[in-house]
Amino acid sequence: MRFFQPIKQIGYSRTLAETRTHFPISPGLIAINQPEITEGYAAVFDMPFPPKFDDINKIEYDLAWILPEDKMDKYHSSKFQLTEQPFYPPFADESFIVSDFENYIDRFLSSPKLDTAIFTLLISQINNPRFKEIMDTECSLYILSGLTSLFNNQRRITETLVQLREMLSPDIALYAPGPISPSLYSFLVYMGIDFFDNSFAHYVSKNGYFLTEDQVYRQSIHPKCYCPHCTGPEPNLFKHNEMVTKNTLSRIRYSIERGIFRAQVEKDVHNNVSFAAALKRVDTHFNENLRRRTPMISSSPVRCIGEESFDRPLITEFRERVRERYKPDPNSNLVILLPCSARKPYSFSRTHKFFHKAMRNAGKGVFKSLTELIITSPLSVVPHELEDIYPVKYYDIPVSGEWSEKEIKVTAELLNNVLSHFPKDTVIVNHTHGGGYEDIVEKIRTTSSFDIRNTAKDASPTSEKSLQQLTDTLIEIQQTKEKDEQKGISSKVRKIQAVADFEYGLGSGEILFPYSVRIKGKYPRDQHIYLDKEHIATYVTRSGYLSLFPKYANLILSKTENILEFGAERVSGSNIYAPGVVYANKRIQPNDEIFIVHENQIIATATALVSGSDMNKMTSGIVAEVKKKVRSKK
Amino acid sequence: MKINKNFAEKINRIREAELPSRSHTRKVVFWEEDTRLLSEQGKALVFILPTRGCSWALSKSGGCSICGYVYDNPQQPDFTLILSSFQKILKNKLNKEFTYSVKIFTSGSFLDTKEVPEEFQLKMLEELSQYEVIKEVVVESRPEYIKDSLLKNISKKIDMSILEIAIGLESSSNSILMNSINKGFFWEDFEKAASKIKENGARVKAYLLFKPPFVSEYDSMRDMLLSVTKIVSLGIDTISINAISIHRGTFLSQLFEKNEYRTPWLWSLLYLCKEIKEQYPDLRLICDIVAGGNVKGAHNCGECDQHVIKVIKEFTMSQDIGVLNKEISCSCKYEWKSNLIHEKLSISEPVIQRNVL
Ligand code: SF4
Ligand SMILES: [Zn+2]
Repeated sequence: MRFFQPIKQIGYSRTLAETRTHFPISPGLIAINQPEITEGYAAVFDMPFPPKFDDINKIEYDLAWILPEDKMDKYHSSKFQLTEQPFYPPFADESFIVSDFENYIDRFLSSPKLDTAIFTLLISQINNPRFKEIMDTECSLYILSGLTSLFNNQRRITETLVQLREMLSPDIALYAPGPISPSLYSFLVYMGIDFFDNSFAHYVSKNGYFLTEDQVYRQSIHPKCYCPHCTGPEPNLFKHNEMVTKNTLSRIRYSIERGIFRAQVEKDVHNNVSFAAALKRVDTHFNENLRRRTPMISSSPVRCIGEESFDRPLITEFRERVRERYKPDPNSNLVILLPCSARKPYSFSRTHKFFHKAMRNAGKGVFKSLTELIITSPLSVVPHELEDIYPVKYYDIPVSGEWSEKEIKVTAELLNNVLSHFPKDTVIVNHTHGGGYEDIVEKIRTTSSFDIRNTAKDASPTSEKSLQQLTDTLIEIQQTKEKDEQKGISSKVRKIQAVADFEYGLGSGEILFPYSVRIKGKYPRDQHIYLDKEHIATYVTRSGYLSLFPKYANLILSKTENILEFGAERVSGSNIYAPGVVYANKRIQPNDEIFIVHENQIIATATALVSGSDMNKMTSGIVAEVKKKVRSKK
Repeated sequence: MKINKNFAEKINRIREAELPSRSHTRKVVFWEEDTRLLSEQGKALVFILPTRGCSWALSKSGGCSICGYVYDNPQQPDFTLILSSFQKILKNKLNKEFTYSVKIFTSGSFLDTKEVPEEFQLKMLEELSQYEVIKEVVVESRPEYIKDSLLKNISKKIDMSILEIAIGLESSSNSILMNSINKGFFWEDFEKAASKIKENGARVKAYLLFKPPFVSEYDSMRDMLLSVTKIVSLGIDTISINAISIHRGTFLSQLFEKNEYRTPWLWSLLYLCKEIKEQYPDLRLICDIVAGGNVKGAHNCGECDQHVIKVIKEFTMSQDIGVLNKEISCSCKYEWKSNLIHEKLSISEPVIQRNVL
């Protein structure tokens, strides 16, 4: 059994907890030797410095975890050991490093207690086939040797860390030793590094360095600091730097816990040019790897910072799902393009209330065939039915009104894709105004044959003039369209169908929610969905997603990818443990509602803790928390 | 095998590329300096003989990873010339008012008959025994040249009790000898050579090398302590800890240029002197620093270097531990500590400032 239990995941970053007590430890700081106070440290190395005659035969150094005393008897263990290391460092020649590293693997594998032994992984040997033998053991902590040598090569650092994290189970922790500026921590944590040490705080000489959380200053000139270590009679630079290092990690732990870590990374990478480039590189080349590890079901604020936010995995995953899983109401042959609003959900905003009033003025029948698409940065295209889901209801952008080339291109492509599901005779009413929107609509005009009418070309969409034009245009369109007598779909049902498709997979909505369902409960309370008096699902207002009853969910078994094949016919207890996992679908993202399946029957629903591919890698610990179980037939 | 084949090959490639640049000086180089004799301070007269150089360095095994002495040796030595200048210098330089230690270095092994023909070895030693003021004679050799027959012949020419044979052991760890230095011999060879020397009445001095490549400074400190313990247990009373310096054209200099090696800290040497002398007060402990204060030799932050070097020199001369007990403070001690632990955890990867800020 490994020592760590992942309890949160955003990208490659995880919060790792002690496996038995779930006391959170990472991302954390290791003290290279006994500090004055251990508070704020994850662990302390017992490494005598400088080494004395008494220490010459010492071959084992303890790493003691700082865990709360009151649960002492419960821990898996409280100390790890660093014993042997390879002789050659990662930068030694391939010709002599390989056999040395493999000898080390042999010696390491023969250590008596692998679950608490610390393995030294050479960054140049991650492709060594024999390294897999270590990954298969219970060994829970690797020292990553050679990482800092990659720091000014953004291509190699991203590729190496992605490759490593794709190989390693999420309950294996990586420790990057040595002086590393705290301003780099958030990127490294996002890429899967779990521990740093306080040597940066020690890394101080006469013209030493003064740290703030985002910068390193020469000690001779730096902003004045009012912390107790800087203002006392004897200012203590080490203690100041130590405090900043601790605070940086504490802030990272906080934002992972709160689900807002990615925004912090986007902000922090600007502390260092090559790391900003590195993040861009990850977003471009490894976006899907991060997406699968980013929770979609959440209620954390989505603060968009700038350029990087456009490629944020949460956002790209949203666009991907709109592309793959959104199918409009088949009766709809009228599309209206609207700008977004600051207030969310959109329909609660003043501007969207104006729009709806103008639409209503064209006669109630207009809604029967109409689909609203909101054009917005950075989400690109939001179908009105999805306005209550995460991240739509929660995102925030700096208002600039400027659209970049890339945004225009991506948005137009997605819009084109969404529009391709509509009948050819669909009329598109463009009720947006201004440069970027115009460019997007222009691209649609050149690539499709839809009849596009502008209703806010000359004035702001909320102006009297534009609103009137909207009403008039809608009236005109209705007159030319044939009257079809089909019954309009209840917009509430239409909405939960769209959410179901988005959440579970295309086609799920129609199967789960025929028009005869009844929806009880009023916003903002959760809504209960009944079919033939049976409670089949709940719509959770906070996240905007659904939760199904397991028995009923069997209907969409062929449609959904949120599936974990389980090795037993019954789930006992309130968790799904790794050994029970036969196979978890790789589409599963953390926080997803997943279906625990045994012999083609759903036996429970659960909330994923980590991504599906990570579940498959884990060999111990919890992979998901059970929501509802099917009652076993006696 | 006492070598790591791939490692030796790599060293040999560097050596072969560099050997054509050997110098052609054929002069005997010498100088005078203060030194520590067994029980007193005195003068040293140091000779560097222009032999063809170390046979190990010239062999297919490439020699030691850290050593570039061979580039200073000529290809064709002239021993008649060497002997006559040697005799002339002795005559001119030795002063009756002092006591002397005469050190004959060859940038190789004096006792290697391929390097210095036995005839000349004997003649030079015989020459030295003519002078009363010479209290100590030091020659250097690798263990494999220390043979009973040779020692017997030498003992006929010189009083063996003034002869000290210095062996560049570097480390008592066979793994370091093989994988880091490419020394070509093991601890056990040193042990045997040392006992032969002692049986023949001469004294043994061991050189230890502080911070060879791929050994973190922390581990090298431990290795120094362990090696001293093992050497002392053989009854050897003189140990010289040599802090590494970068020789051009070596395996080490290539590492150094790629920023993959940092020369040791003076703090470590200062600490080692103190820790060792405390443990073994009777040991004659010499700490030799070449290029001290320079990035190619042992150095600290630049501000405290000269001070620390001076203290270590003073200690080497006086053997008085009191010199080391005076606290020297400089805030780069913190950096020293974090550097050493980083190197230890990441197996000798040095801290490169531009990478970590
Ligand atoms: S260190 Fe000594 S043995 Fe090694 S190559 Fe140099 S001279 Fe020869
Ligand atoms: Zn200093």
